[in-house]
Amino acid sequence: MAAAAARSLRAVPCVLPAASRALHTSPACLKARAARARVGKGDRAVTYEQAHAPHYIAHRKGWLSLHTGNLAGEEGAAERALEDAFLRRFLYGTFPGMLADEVVLKRRANLLELCLLLARGLAPAKLYFLVGYTETLLSHFYKCPVRLHLQTVPTKVAYKYL
Amino acid sequence: MAAGWLWRRLCQQSVFPGNYASTILQKQCSLLNCALMGTRLAGSHVDTQEPKTNPLVSVSDEPETLYKRLSLLVKGHDKAVLDSYEYFAVLAAKELGISIEKVHKPPKTIERLTLLKSVHIYKKHRVQYEMRTHYMCLELKYLTSSTARVYLEYVQRNLPEGVAMEVKKTKIEKIPEHIKEPVWDTLPQVEETEIKS
Repeated sequence: MAAAAARSLRAVPCVLPAASRALHTSPACLKARAARARVGKGDRAVTYEQAHAPHYIAHRKGWLSLHTGNLAGEEGAAERALEDAFLRRFLYGTFPGMLADEVVLKRRANLLELCLLLARGLAPAKLYFLVGYTETLLSHFYKCPVRLHLQTVPTKVAYKYL
Repeated sequence: MAAGWLWRRLCQQSVFPGNYASTILQKQCSLLNCALMGTRLAGSHVDTQEPKTNPLVSVSDEPETLYKRLSLLVKGHDKAVLDSYEYFAVLAAKELGISIEKVHKPPKTIERLTLLKSVHIYKKHRVQYEMRTHYMCLELKYLTSSTARVYLEYVQRNLPEGVAMEVKKTKIEKIPEHIKEPVWDTLPQVEETEIKS
């Protein structure tokens, strides 16, 4: 009787597609980790920039480095990327512990503009010296006019606590 | 400075009658007297005999090259920036009296990369990036070379960061002399010689 049932099942064409449910598990090391702040105990303050993942760029985030290297038909993307990396490290070291947020780099023709957000830790006279020092040194290094725009904030602005 | 510019525009459009204009000017002078002692306000009608020669303006007798079309293709990653730049460029063209042929937005191009997610092995797990380039094309018609130069300089100096521009100019030239009439009309009449075999 079982054999007869099996034969009848084989005779009827199977209309249903192969419906199967599988659970997709990815090991922890293969999740996307780029530029994402992972959830923790809730005591770590995180800025708006750090809280958003890179797929939010152009939706909730803006660009930190503005240049024409990555446009279609334009050259110099790698050189700009290298310059950006050096500039961020340089500024991180020149203003130790005072950068409230990431530096915004703007390139317009030959001019390089650095927009910084600093927490108040140094006397204004020392800040002016550091601004002049960065501007002259970087302009001699990159052979282009460099302008630094500063803004001081009382403390780092926390968007979330993770 | 902004007040002086606005004042010059009003004088050009001759909205106010003469007497009213002079009283307004005196009031303006008295208000700004402290900071601008001894300076001449832009647009102030001071009767001077010296001719005003602007060192930036050059006068030459050469005939100007004429452009049938000036095409500006502006590329950027951010659509909002391109929209505001379009408003600015169109406004500048209208103020300078340049006729605009059309303003259109070609479709965006997306360059996609698929890279390995991990530094070592895990070939099946990849990461995809994309770079979007938005375009805006502004076509102006019938310009002279000096107008084109002035407009392009102004518009390019105010190009935002992260935005690139490509300019294409279409020149108008006179038809060369040797094409104007067909060749068979210009050749001298050749007498037919009979070939005797």
